[in-house]
Amino acid sequence: MTKTLNKPSDILTFILPAFIVFTLIVIVSIAWVFGVSFLDWNGMTGGKFVGFNNYRQLFFEDSSYWEIVGNTFLYTIYELLWQVLGGLLVAIFLTRLRHFRSILQTLYYIPVVISTVAICQIFTKFFSVVPSGVINSVLSLFNEEWAYLEWLSNPNLSLEVAAFAEGYKYFGLYMVIFYAALISVPQELEEAARIDGAGMLTQIMKIKLPYIKPVIISNLIIVLNGSMRSFDVSYLLTKGGPANTSQLLTPYMYKQAFNSLKYGYGSAVAITIVILCILLGVVLQKLIIKDDKEE
Amino acid sequence: MVIRKLNRGLPIIRILIAALLLIICIYPVFYVFMSSVKTTEDFQQQKPYELPSEITFANYQKIIEQGRILTYFKNSIIITLFTVLFILILASMAGFGLSKFSFRGNKTLRNYFNLGLMLPIQVSLIPLFYIFSRIDILDTYPAVIIPQVAFGLAFSIQLFYSFYKFLPNDVIESGIIDGCTPMQVFIKIVTPMAQNTYLTVATMQGVFCWNEFITTYTMTKSVGMKTVTLGLNDFVGTMGLTDWGATFAMIILTILPTLILYFFTNKHMVSGIAAGSVKG
Repeated sequence: MTKTLNKPSDILTFILPAFIVFTLIVIVSIAWVFGVSFLDWNGMTGGKFVGFNNYRQLFFEDSSYWEIVGNTFLYTIYELLWQVLGGLLVAIFLTRLRHFRSILQTLYYIPVVISTVAICQIFTKFFSVVPSGVINSVLSLFNEEWAYLEWLSNPNLSLEVAAFAEGYKYFGLYMVIFYAALISVPQELEEAARIDGAGMLTQIMKIKLPYIKPVIISNLIIVLNGSMRSFDVSYLLTKGGPANTSQLLTPYMYKQAFNSLKYGYGSAVAITIVILCILLGVVLQKLIIKDDKEE
Repeated sequence: MVIRKLNRGLPIIRILIAALLLIICIYPVFYVFMSSVKTTEDFQQQKPYELPSEITFANYQKIIEQGRILTYFKNSIIITLFTVLFILILASMAGFGLSKFSFRGNKTLRNYFNLGLMLPIQVSLIPLFYIFSRIDILDTYPAVIIPQVAFGLAFSIQLFYSFYKFLPNDVIESGIIDGCTPMQVFIKIVTPMAQNTYLTVATMQGVFCWNEFITTYTMTKSVGMKTVTLGLNDFVGTMGLTDWGATFAMIILTILPTLILYFFTNKHMVSGIAAGSVKG
């Protein structure tokens, strides 16, 4: 920061436009949703104040809500594995290569730039049962019966397949971030460890990972937060089904508000999502800042 | 030398892993392209992983003759351009203000914008849909652009902020001493230096916006307002079960622009993400 730039009028000129847009659209609308969550409202006419009724109904009468909360947490764990762990492993792998690092990184990143609508469509075709998609056709080469395996319509697998599709789309993003962090680890550290006779695994575990710990933690938070409010894949690929087996919180909220026209109820779901997201974000950040100070 | 060789592991295993990852990442695109040039007979008689027995562009022809794809592209281009433009202007100014201006509450304001990183856009769609319908702008470009700009700000401000933070203060102070206003310093001196950050934010937000689904899906109704992503989704809804060939051709047409953009600007996209996150 510089001392020359401190005139209030200049500060306003630069920051106010973004502040207004952000506040009006993001913050005010969330506050609005909070208000609506106490109403019984179809989104068009009237709207009746019902106090905590929506929340009471949500927490104590809506059995699908808790199933969906469970799904969302499980989904988040899968995403942590696919995106953070997967991204980290691929990044470590890239640093072990001598040639073609940059071209491979470019190509591994391709799923990130493809739209979720397209990815979901490709997955639908891949996992198709009738007619047999690529997956079942290849599997049927090994066992005829495997041609009829169900994936997206299988209540025991639909959440996993959706989680895989999302992990597939985004792991490249975290690979790139981890890779950049890993190659910024000072060569001398590695060199010293090698001279001390540390093997490859020890070097990674004892030198590299501790060095990039802040990056690992920030990626953990981003993925955790992103998966708690994940929408597109569940909405488009499995449509939450069969039944509610792959339903997640945000699409559930959306369907309550826009399809069932229960705006008040949908808003109550929305507020629980916002609280979860902020709580996870803030609590984790606090924990980490505390951790950093102790070091 | 010997230690280094041992340390690097067996080359054949590394090649295998690299190739396997490559197949996983590239094969879907390859498969879609391959299927998009297949004939109807091939779809009926071949295994889905087999290469086409003859190549046809009839599927592409069908989509182009249907005519809607041009409308989809027009809408996507307009929406993406304006969204990115507004994000660049608002976020670069705010990022500059937050990183170079000393005032009370600076840090609080930064945290306030960071809230945007944690909040889901779908939540805001509930009230925005209602408000936009009351002021009668549903099914117009602003209804799609405004929410995306607002929700794109948090991340973009952060990227600009982390760039400007490393920009020497002397640059700005000498400009001020030479008699420039802060706005002149920002436009004439700082902005040219931040070119790469602009490019990073523009390409990233451009790709996000091109691929965006739920805001456009919620805010638009008429076919004349649909974007490429929605067009693909509609197309799948009506043709997906019957006409696989045309569906694959449609997928290729919709992802081609982002793939081309990515291959020309991947240095900026990738390095920007990495730099923004690592510096944090």
